[in-house]
Amino acid sequence: MSEMAFARKASGLVRGLSFIDAFGVGFMNQGLTPSMWVMISLGLGVYTGGNLIIATILSVIFCGIGFSLVWGILGGSMPRSGGEYIYNSRIISPLIGIAESFGNAFVWIMWIYVLAPWVVDPGLVMTFQFLGLQSWADFCTQPIALFLIASLMNLTAMLFLLFGLKVFAKVQKVIMVLGMIGCLVILLVFSFSSNEEFIQAWNGMAVQYESLDHSAFLETARAAMEEAGDVLPTTWNWFDTLGVMVAGSWLFAYSYCITFIAGEVKRPDKTIILGNLFAVIVPGVFMLWLAIALYNTVGFEFLSATAWVDNMGESLPGYTFPFPPHFVGLAAIIAQNKVLVFLMGFSFVLFALWWVALSHLAFPRILFAWGMDRMGPKWFADIHPRWATPVKNLILGFCLGEIGIALYVLWQNPTMTGLSVTGLEIVSVWGVTAVAALLFPYTGKVKNIWNASPYKSWKFLGIPAVVIGAVVNLIYLVILFYFFIVMPDLEGLAMSSLALYLVIWLIGVLWYFYWKARNKAAGVDISMTYGELPPD
Amino acid sequence: MGKGAIRIFFVTDIHGSNVCYRKFLNALKAYNVDVGILLGDLTGKMLIPLVERQGGGWETTFMGHHTEINTQEELTQLKKTIEMVGYYWVHLTPDEFQSYKADSKKLDLLFNQLMLQRLKEWTALADERLVGTTYKVYMAPGNDDHLEVDQVIEDSAAIVNCNTKNVMVGDHEMITFSYSNPTPWNTPREKPDEELEPMLEELISLVQDKSSAIFNFHAPPYGYALDLAPELTADLIQAADRKIHVGSRAVAKMIEKYQPLIGLHGHIHESRGAQKLKRTLTINPGSEYSEGILKGAVIVLEKGKVKDYIFTTG
Repeated sequence: MSEMAFARKASGLVRGLSFIDAFGVGFMNQGLTPSMWVMISLGLGVYTGGNLIIATILSVIFCGIGFSLVWGILGGSMPRSGGEYIYNSRIISPLIGIAESFGNAFVWIMWIYVLAPWVVDPGLVMTFQFLGLQSWADFCTQPIALFLIASLMNLTAMLFLLFGLKVFAKVQKVIMVLGMIGCLVILLVFSFSSNEEFIQAWNGMAVQYESLDHSAFLETARAAMEEAGDVLPTTWNWFDTLGVMVAGSWLFAYSYCITFIAGEVKRPDKTIILGNLFAVIVPGVFMLWLAIALYNTVGFEFLSATAWVDNMGESLPGYTFPFPPHFVGLAAIIAQNKVLVFLMGFSFVLFALWWVALSHLAFPRILFAWGMDRMGPKWFADIHPRWATPVKNLILGFCLGEIGIALYVLWQNPTMTGLSVTGLEIVSVWGVTAVAALLFPYTGKVKNIWNASPYKSWKFLGIPAVVIGAVVNLIYLVILFYFFIVMPDLEGLAMSSLALYLVIWLIGVLWYFYWKARNKAAGVDISMTYGELPPD
Repeated sequence: MGKGAIRIFFVTDIHGSNVCYRKFLNALKAYNVDVGILLGDLTGKMLIPLVERQGGGWETTFMGHHTEINTQEELTQLKKTIEMVGYYWVHLTPDEFQSYKADSKKLDLLFNQLMLQRLKEWTALADERLVGTTYKVYMAPGNDDHLEVDQVIEDSAAIVNCNTKNVMVGDHEMITFSYSNPTPWNTPREKPDEELEPMLEELISLVQDKSSAIFNFHAPPYGYALDLAPELTADLIQAADRKIHVGSRAVAKMIEKYQPLIGLHGHIHESRGAQKLKRTLTINPGSEYSEGILKGAVIVLEKGKVKDYIFTTG
């Protein structure tokens, strides 16, 4: 059937961002190689009885259904580039919208100060260690050096955005290709190595560095775990498998970043939802491949032991390899070719750096949306006329990131702080947006948007698909939050994180009322920004 | 609000959206304003044929989807949604559909008829609701609107067609200009900047006090933050990763030269924002008419100055 619609000559745009562009943003925010490291070293390192294959499959199912339907349908129904602030303030309430958005703005700043240092350590550090440049690696771990190089990464990432999206899009393509090549090298190294070859390579390196051989490492790790009150499991269990999903969320729950370009994609009704879905499936395929290859080459028990040792951050007595036994390190033990180990380590560096760049993409746009709604100073809505970017907001994000980086390098357990950010996203960004999706078909003030939504007819057993997605999403988030709270290594941090979340939300609420009062004093009722006008 | 203050609600580019127009009328009371300004583009861009099917029902393509309509309830709902997004609908037999498809002139006539018909419905609604109230409402076409649109607005009892006129908004003179610089779509009201400049000079010469005037020009000034749009490829596809300035150099020159109090602009839907050009506050409220969302700006003028402004999404 040919197109049954007539268009006249009138000004207007055909949206231009393709599925590949949307997928690219979502996929890059999943941070392939570093997220695999998080899932194994922080996830399996804590929940050592976790099964990476099952955790991956469950995560892909939960995120593929939940996130794709929630963020895809909200984004496709309201295809604007302001992020979830638009959906939450319109569907739930302006107060919740701004409080949640305040939390999300804080999240993006947290990512800058967590991930810019990660580019350096473990990123550059592992790369230098693989290349035998131990003194360079040692230099990078010094607090001042860590701060300076992380600051340079923060500046570089900000500059990718400062001069417009054209520069950003070009660099993203290069980083995506190089990063994926490095990750593929890791996968191929494991895929083409047997358990015997791995043990042989390990023992060969143990001789070279006078370190623990394969069996001695396992025994020493087991003893160290028992001393710490843990037990090295010989097989997997469901509790730990679900627990691994908390750290695994880094690899599967972050494609929602597509929402920041939703206003520019072609066929947003299909592109946003499919972009989200494939940005979950592709990392899922990579992780599934890695998990199968790791269990085949390294073995369940040994992999759990190495993850635990890497997560503890303290050297195991007798372990003198020049790098920690994380999964990239295990690949580097097998493939000692300089080019291959460089590509593997650099893959981590590139994806981590791009996370910082994506933070600089999102944070200024959140502030821009506030500025437009007069929920902040007018200059939040300023656009640089030459580069078409919110330059002032970018500089603010850079400066706040710098303050965070300075604090972060003095933090006692810095790597786990990353999971604290995830906790904030669970309770605010993802959770609130899932609730908004749940209410979308039944909320009168967005009735017109729902009626015009291309997903209105998407139903299963009479239930709107967006509601099903929201329920699946909420179940996933409850699982994540439960294991985040009970995570043994986050004892203390989890509670302080919760206190931090409350403070952030409180500041968000105060921010809302401050700007409401300030605008009222100037003769402007801020509530007119949010309420839908009656059409009849 | 102080004595002598005036509150203006400014909206542009609703492109035929019934919902947005009705919201505009209701916004006058809801936002407690004195003056409403609805600048072009006023008319829609798409016509949805509801083609009869053999055996009953209708079929069409809406929002890129082939859509089949089986009941009167579905038909009523679809028509409402079509009108909400600013499109027009017409009942056609399959033969009629093919006939319009084959004859672009015949199709243009139908488009024009439906556009003017909707605009007449709008002005009739305004006359019904606004006559006898204190609200002052100004309306003018934009570059997408056919020339016949002016007369329909002119015929309204409640709405003032302010196009190419100098009208008073409180103590402020306001001039309005509907043309834009050339677009890739060859729209009804566009001319090269060299031709726009003398037209604008002539219009501005009507203004006595330029420093307190409102320049209500559809096209935004070139080279600032209100005229940024994604670059297009030769086949009018958005290049997406690069934004370029597409505003009018003539408009920029006039604002820089005369520095009025405010410049009100539209045309570039995605370039919502406010920016100072020397002493002039320029505003483009943007547009999301296709979702039935009315974007606008409330501007508070007091003692000859802009006291404040706020963007609205209703």
